[in-house]
Amino acid sequence: MENKEALSTLNEIKEMMEKSSRFQSISGWSIVVVGLLASVVSAAAWLLLLPHADMAWLPACCSGLLINSPWRSSIAILVALLLLVVSFSTVAALSLGKMKRQKGAVRFDPSLRRCLIHFCVPMLAGGLLCLAMLQQGHYGLTSTFMLVFYGLALINCSHYTHSSIAALGYVQLVLGVVDCFVVSHAILFWWLGFGLMHVVYGFYFIAKYERQKGL
Amino acid sequence: MMLDGLNKAFESKARLGIMSVLMVNESVDFSSLKQLIGLTDGNLASHTRALEEMGYISAEKKFVGRKPNTSYTVTQAGSQAFKAHLQALEDLLKSVPNK
Repeated sequence: MENKEALSTLNEIKEMMEKSSRFQSISGWSIVVVGLLASVVSAAAWLLLLPHADMAWLPACCSGLLINSPWRSSIAILVALLLLVVSFSTVAALSLGKMKRQKGAVRFDPSLRRCLIHFCVPMLAGGLLCLAMLQQGHYGLTSTFMLVFYGLALINCSHYTHSSIAALGYVQLVLGVVDCFVVSHAILFWWLGFGLMHVVYGFYFIAKYERQKGL
Repeated sequence: MMLDGLNKAFESKARLGIMSVLMVNESVDFSSLKQLIGLTDGNLASHTRALEEMGYISAEKKFVGRKPNTSYTVTQAGSQAFKAHLQALEDLLKSVPNK
């Protein structure tokens, strides 16, 4: 057996191991879209929820937004949940589309299942924790918990998909931890993590994994 | 140049593929394996049977609804043999100078 042949055999083995154990159909554009959606929502939250601006232009019916009412916090929670659902659906829809282009059919294969489980378990725990904290009136650390648990979820599932997703996870984790020591800049940190970082990582992802392969 | 340790059982690409997939997955069913490696039913079945007879993989037949579904797992002997084969390939790379 020649040197070259041994090398190509080893490469094929490695490729097959990765292909069969890692989910490789995540859509890069969907990551960018999630970042843009998060940016729009954080801009809206910054404009409407912070008591710093002159809100005289708001119609009378919306004046409740100006004070710390239960109505205002339920709207914020509702918008956050809606953003979560829309973001997750966008990634799911575009990624399944990419899977169909790559493999010819959408299959709920072991790599997808493992990736999903390892992502969802920390997300679910973190999400419930956030809801419980909000219900008990502890608002201060919500953005920290969101960033930290999302970062952990990404690091956790990175073993079952493109490993560079771990880097995005570590950035979220660091932002979350820094956020809990800085008072009153929650929306800024939240935007840096969920908005800006997604857009940046999304374009990196497209350049690294999708551009050459024409996907 | 030929080295000891290269296992004849893993000479074909199909068998290398099957072993590679099974090494990193707890168990894989027939249709997933077929799709990953890109073989016909008959072809894959003959390779899995051969590996099974050598004791490198084990098959478990189940029924999902009414459809028969066979899933494969690598055995300890298979895992050792495959690792030895990989080691032999790597040794081969080291022993032959790159031109």
